[in-house]
Amino acid sequence: MVDDEPEIRRALRTGLGYQGFDVRAADSGEEALAQVAGWRPDVVLLDLGLPGIDGFEVLQELRSRDRRAAVIVVSVMPGERDKVRALDLGADDYVVKPFGVEELLARIRAVLRRQAAIADGEPVIRAGDLELDLGRREVRAGGRPVHLTPTEYEVLRVLALHAGKPVTHTTLLRQVWGEHAVGDRYNTRYVVAQLRRKLADDPARPRYIVNEPGVGYRLES
Amino acid sequence: MDTGAGVFSVAMRALRSRALPYLAGAAGVVLVTGGIAVVRPVAVLPNLSAAYVLLVLWLSALWGWRPAVAAALLAFVAYDWFFVVPYGTLWISAPRDVLDLVLLLGAALLGARLVSTLAAQRQGAVAEAAESGILYEVAIAALREPEGTGALSLLCRRAVDSGGLQAMALLAGEGEAAEVIAGERLSRADLRQARWALARGVDLGARLQDGELHLMRIFSPRREPRLVTLSGGVAVFWLREESQPTQDQRHLLAALFGLAGLLLDRRRAGAAVERARALEASDRLKTAVLSSVSHELKTPIAALRAGLSTLSMPQAGLPDEHHELVAGLDRQTSRLDHLVSDLLTMARLEAEVSLERSPQPFEELLGSALHALRPLLTGLDLRIEVPPHLPLLLVDELQMERVLTNLLENAAEWTPSGGRITVGAERQADGLGVWVENEGPAIADEELERVFAKFWTRRKGGSGLGLAISRRIVEAHGGTIRVENRHDGPRFTCCLPVEAGVVAAERTAGG
Repeated sequence: MVDDEPEIRRALRTGLGYQGFDVRAADSGEEALAQVAGWRPDVVLLDLGLPGIDGFEVLQELRSRDRRAAVIVVSVMPGERDKVRALDLGADDYVVKPFGVEELLARIRAVLRRQAAIADGEPVIRAGDLELDLGRREVRAGGRPVHLTPTEYEVLRVLALHAGKPVTHTTLLRQVWGEHAVGDRYNTRYVVAQLRRKLADDPARPRYIVNEPGVGYRLES
Repeated sequence: MDTGAGVFSVAMRALRSRALPYLAGAAGVVLVTGGIAVVRPVAVLPNLSAAYVLLVLWLSALWGWRPAVAAALLAFVAYDWFFVVPYGTLWISAPRDVLDLVLLLGAALLGARLVSTLAAQRQGAVAEAAESGILYEVAIAALREPEGTGALSLLCRRAVDSGGLQAMALLAGEGEAAEVIAGERLSRADLRQARWALARGVDLGARLQDGELHLMRIFSPRREPRLVTLSGGVAVFWLREESQPTQDQRHLLAALFGLAGLLLDRRRAGAAVERARALEASDRLKTAVLSSVSHELKTPIAALRAGLSTLSMPQAGLPDEHHELVAGLDRQTSRLDHLVSDLLTMARLEAEVSLERSPQPFEELLGSALHALRPLLTGLDLRIEVPPHLPLLLVDELQMERVLTNLLENAAEWTPSGGRITVGAERQADGLGVWVENEGPAIADEELERVFAKFWTRRKGGSGLGLAISRRIVEAHGGTIRVENRHDGPRFTCCLPVEAGVVAAERTAGG
């Protein structure tokens, strides 16, 4: 846990400790990077506003070294721009301060679940009653097969690989269409509208794909 | 006596300059007639008369067609008198001589006309070239120094020395603050008059029309300035006492005034850009201050919530009464957090932080608002009445989601357990009508407008800002928000701007 407020470090160490997590705290980006190198944690809780090198730089450095540790950005009132930037730099989730420990625990568990699913290399991704068979490129919703175009399938696959985590418009565009499409949000909106229609997902009461205003889309896990 | 002498000398000068071509013409006719008389014994007469034609052409090239025609008529008479039989009379006896005379007159008149036209064209071309040169010079000066008044001062100088004015000044600014920015300094009376003309957009003693400067007669004992109002200021000028500007000069003046209007306009636009830049800088400052204040206010709350929520975990092992106390403190801290958030949001909205509008489907905004409020809405009967094929909203998605969230939170607050909340949308003439209605107590008539006021709240513990924030956001989008009591409870309705045209294409392609 990287945070420059001693009370928050102390409280979260205690709270997460109650749930059996082994927690180490760092009060600066430099110290966090030094600790991560020797210790290899499963999850890094990273405050964005740090003295010295800031959270974004720490995130970038962490991602360039080790792709295993999940990073949850924890920040006081991050603007949507900061959220998008952190997610595009590879953060797995973000939590806005102030928050209760229970809320944080729920996010940590979700991230760990996703990590475990990816580590297992399971060929089928499940999110609620949605099933994606990556090997056969087949999708079933509530047991019913759904026929998707290659682009729709790709969008759903990227969302499913990060189920529970917001995927930014930029990430979706880059991974599905390529670098040239970044900035053209019409693409994602159109394909997501198609996907919702085929999955019988009402955008006003979404079961699968949730709109994250100012950020992107998230597949409910 | 002095005045009389002055008038006399002016009249003499004018007479001299007007009469000179005619006197020269008469002298020329006398000379040519004498010359013909001398060479007549050795030359054929009709050929000699060509000398008159040469004289007429020369006169017309020099002074235009009027003195040339006068000289031609005089030459006609002289020729008839001296060289046509019977001599010494204007009588013509031989028909052949009539033809000679008519040819002489005709050639002289036609030539005079032709030559004077050519001369006028040449003069026009020269004047036009001079005018273009002056305009070019001023324009270059303006390009070289876009912010300053150098070009305008040059323009005034050129209007005086090439446009034939006595003096000129340019005035720009607003109302009483309008000042001379180039050219002559104005007396207090003239300045007052110029400001008056600028404020009302009137011209005095002159008028710009169809690229020409028209000068009116002014009857006044004082030497009144003439005023022409331009788009960004006013041109003030005096004519020379002894002469009016020629037509070419008036043309040049019209062009210079037009250019001055453009330059003054640009100065004004430049000042507006400058003001906008200053505003933007102050907006940036406000945003920076607000985000720093947010950080300072939120950080201690974050520490409180982290600590209190940890202490209220069962594993903390607090005795029951302490657990209750701590859990209560955590709830209060959470409430404090919401109040601070609302205050900061309101402050940010009042600092007029700009909107980032983009086309948004209403369903998606509603979906994310409902999703975020799931815990609050459980146990309520939520109904959604959103018809298909709605136009896209043209809104800031984050702000508009906040409006929907606030309205839904407010509805949930006042709906009895198991009660109904209806969210709907419909196309309206001027946008999209969006409403949230809940089953619950009606709002007293006298409070219908007050619910949107800042810090006004129907319940204890609310910040009284949710609806005020919503109204501010909706109005910043150019929309409206109102509340009315329906059959089962209050209905809040917003009218929001939509993007024209795009939706149909998208929906059709999607269908």
